[in-house]
Amino acid sequence: MTAQARDEASTVVRRRWWPASFDSTLLGLALILIWEMGVRLGHVPVYLLPPPSTILMRILTDYRSLFMHTVVTVNEVLIGFGLAIAVSIPLAAILAQFRPLERAFYPILVASQTIPKVAIAPLIVVWFGFGLFPKILIAFLICFFPILIDALIGFRSTPKEVIWLARSMGAPRRRIFLNFQLPAALPHIFAGLKVASTLAVVGAVVGEFVASDRGLGYQLIVANGMLDVVLSFAILVLLSVVGILLFAVVDLVERLLLPWHISHRPTGQEQP
Amino acid sequence: MVATLEFQNVSKSYQTATGPIEALRDFDLTIGEGEFISIVGPSGCGKSTLLSMASGLAFPTQGKISVKGEPVSEPVTDLGIVFQTDVLLDWRTILDNILIQPEMRGLDRNAYRPRALDLLKMVGLEGFEKKYPYELSGGMRQRVSICRALIHEPPLLLMDEPFGALDALTREQMVMELHQIWLETRKSVIFITHDIQEAVLLADRVIVMTPRPGRIAEIIKTDLPHPRRPATMETARFISVVAQIRHLFEKHGVLKAY
Ligand SMILES: Nc1ncnc2c1ncn2[C@@H]1O[C@H](COP(=O)(O)OP(=O)(O)OP(=O)(O)O)[C@@H](O)[C@H]1O
Ligand SMILES: [Mg+2]
Repeated sequence: MTAQARDEASTVVRRRWWPASFDSTLLGLALILIWEMGVRLGHVPVYLLPPPSTILMRILTDYRSLFMHTVVTVNEVLIGFGLAIAVSIPLAAILAQFRPLERAFYPILVASQTIPKVAIAPLIVVWFGFGLFPKILIAFLICFFPILIDALIGFRSTPKEVIWLARSMGAPRRRIFLNFQLPAALPHIFAGLKVASTLAVVGAVVGEFVASDRGLGYQLIVANGMLDVVLSFAILVLLSVVGILLFAVVDLVERLLLPWHISHRPTGQEQP
Repeated sequence: MVATLEFQNVSKSYQTATGPIEALRDFDLTIGEGEFISIVGPSGCGKSTLLSMASGLAFPTQGKISVKGEPVSEPVTDLGIVFQTDVLLDWRTILDNILIQPEMRGLDRNAYRPRALDLLKMVGLEGFEKKYPYELSGGMRQRVSICRALIHEPPLLLMDEPFGALDALTREQMVMELHQIWLETRKSVIFITHDIQEAVLLADRVIVMTPRPGRIAEIIKTDLPHPRRPATMETARFISVVAQIRHLFEKHGVLKAY
């Protein structure tokens, strides 16, 4: 779709002067304002619930150390997430090509998924020590499953007629996969990536909780130990910013890659 | 005449959760080279099943199918298929949806561009080549899938209700275009339709099917002169063939006799 066509489509749907993303920004600002006012007017002590302005100030004054810890955590998140993508999607592709393989592996994968990653985090530390690797591994393990499942559903849901069309054109198996199954699966794969992108942050933080001397998860433990509630909140804010940014990147890539997909078209709820 | 496609006592049952369903029974037909065959029959009588077997995408439970004397054991690629649903790829533009045909066959994509544009013009979709399928109506999408089946000039054309989603006027135009293409290229065609008039107007022979399990009720030679024109539908011969098919359907309970 051309940019112009997209513009036309969106003016038909919404005759408002502000873009839709402002809606949630406005709502978010309103919530922060209520929080600020509520805490101040209600004289809530800072060690229970600090007001947003205090949290922001703390982030600004401590930015050097917080930035260092953020970089550590982001690094773990990105490597774990990237690894999960690199393993899950090809694995799903292979399983989808060979049904007997899928029937054999699928139950085992599901069973393995029922073990809570948080619970085995200490074991992973016992096995792999204190370094970067155990955190990456936990982030990877948490991300792995949602991507795999969604990719598998995607690869399997190519309509019969699409495969028939490809075969009647004499397309070899590799081309059937690349030109028909993979593009058809991409919307499903991105759904999995979005879920996994938020989980990756959880994985890295859990790893840092168990054993670490740096990273936002470690810093959170320290802040809690010192009953430094403002610092704890500052870290929570940074963690959610990391999660939101990763999600936004995935969303952006999806928009660039799948402009044709139904989730990016005008909603169908047109207004007069 | 050389046999292009041969069905020998072909039967097909589907295994389902509630037991086998017999879709087609004892289908026996030889299609000559350059022959235009129309198949008419009630919904569910196995017409689509027949096409999937003719193209080697599904296989009969009994009987034999051969193409040019060779038994079919894998997908037949020397053909063009218009499926009952348009099967357009959402992520490709209209032009790319048509060009996927030469692309998958390892042919030079650019060499087929002008022809793709000509075909789009022929089906009344000039200027839509850069659109995506979701921007087209059902009938427009169906016409694109016809272009895709024709682009590589296949000697055999299988069409499953290709004009089903079209209005009466566009439909008549498309019928005449198809007839013209057939006159010029003499492809072998299997054309499935619900429309008796359309079937008769286009075909050398019309295969009339019974309700499920589909059997051949009758094979009718149309014996109408070429080229066929809309006016052909007013000739006595045309009217009597159409009436004959209606009577067959009445006899088999597909049409109610009044
Ligand atoms: N994959 C399948 N599994 C089970 N039964 C099937 C399957 N495909 C078709 N059938 C059955 O076989 C019969 C013939 O189906 P088919 O699609 O060939 O009919 P058709 O003549 O093309 O009908 P229509 O005109 O409605 O398209 C139907 O009764 C249907 O229930
Ligand atoms: Mg059908």
